[in-house]
Amino acid sequence: MANEDPIAAAALIVAGLKKAGIDFVATLPDEKMLEVIRAVEKDRELKHVPLCREEEGIGICAGAYLAGKKTAIFMQNAGFLNSCNALTTTSLQLQIPILMLIYYAGDIGDRGFTTLGAVTEPVLHALGFRSYVLRKQEEIDETLRGAQILADDSKKPVAVLLTKSVLGVD
Amino acid sequence: MQRYEYLKLIAADAKDALCVSTGWGSREWWAVRPSDGNLKTRTLGLVSSIAAGLAIALPRRKVIAIDGDGAFLMNLCGLPTIAQQNPGNLIHLLFDNEIYEASGGTATASRNSDAVAIAKGAGYKRALWVRSPEEFRGAFVKAWEENELTLIAVKVDPGQPEDLPPLKLDEIENKYRFMRYLEATEKKGILNPGFDSKL
Repeated sequence: MANEDPIAAAALIVAGLKKAGIDFVATLPDEKMLEVIRAVEKDRELKHVPLCREEEGIGICAGAYLAGKKTAIFMQNAGFLNSCNALTTTSLQLQIPILMLIYYAGDIGDRGFTTLGAVTEPVLHALGFRSYVLRKQEEIDETLRGAQILADDSKKPVAVLLTKSVLGVD
Repeated sequence: MQRYEYLKLIAADAKDALCVSTGWGSREWWAVRPSDGNLKTRTLGLVSSIAAGLAIALPRRKVIAIDGDGAFLMNLCGLPTIAQQNPGNLIHLLFDNEIYEASGGTATASRNSDAVAIAKGAGYKRALWVRSPEEFRGAFVKAWEENELTLIAVKVDPGQPEDLPPLKLDEIENKYRFMRYLEATEKKGILNPGFDSKL
């Protein structure tokens, strides 16, 4: 049974990030990720960089990676589409890993954003990114840790799509 | 005066600073300051963001972004993010030749906009136009010594010197050399030693 408390869910996700070794997090909010971003901001072990547009965050995280940080970025899938050039010509071109935590608007059962939902996974696959849809809170630690290992070893972005059930929101 | 002439002025002052550049600026900067602390980037607009990521991650290391007007205008939304983080170790140089030089020379919108006003509006506490080599070098040294995030903007003539040497560097090689250089100079492990290291 999923925990329907978004604050508790946010705590699980932030704990999972830290267990995966992440120490540098850029964010641009979707309402569904509000509590996660608040938890990132509060956590003293995570460097938090709030963004104005997702694509610049790919650049900021690339710079931080080169300097030894383990980076993650929170964004909605519209922001992922906004970032495709940087992901291609910086992340892929220079072989720079990043853990992408993407709120899956337009996911099955989600009203509105169905067009966005429909193109999200095909675009991830077109870029050659491994991607995982995270639906169960009990799989947070394993998925974030596994995705971070994949990103670090393949030196490529890896995407984890966050759903309402894992975020504890309606 | 061309960008290359301005870059020559600060090559010695840049000491062991990390330097992020793009387009012709990369080839020119390598010619005046060859170093594994130089990083060439490809995504138009992202120079300032990548440099900011380095500066945030390494707050005691100087970082220089060599930006152009086309790239600057493409990444305006990156400026408030940088200003909010306010990395005092980042010196943001803007060489404004009013054209997309690496893309064939079409005009940018820089001749009817004001990069310094934009940067100040985005929250940069220090941003200034310089109009002479002396002002340029003075502003660079001041930004360095006072450790304040600064945008130094200068109008330049397009073009390069005829004898500019080619930049013979694969970009992946550049990335690895840059990271190894950081490991050596920051005295820490950065690159994942890899699965094979455990065999």
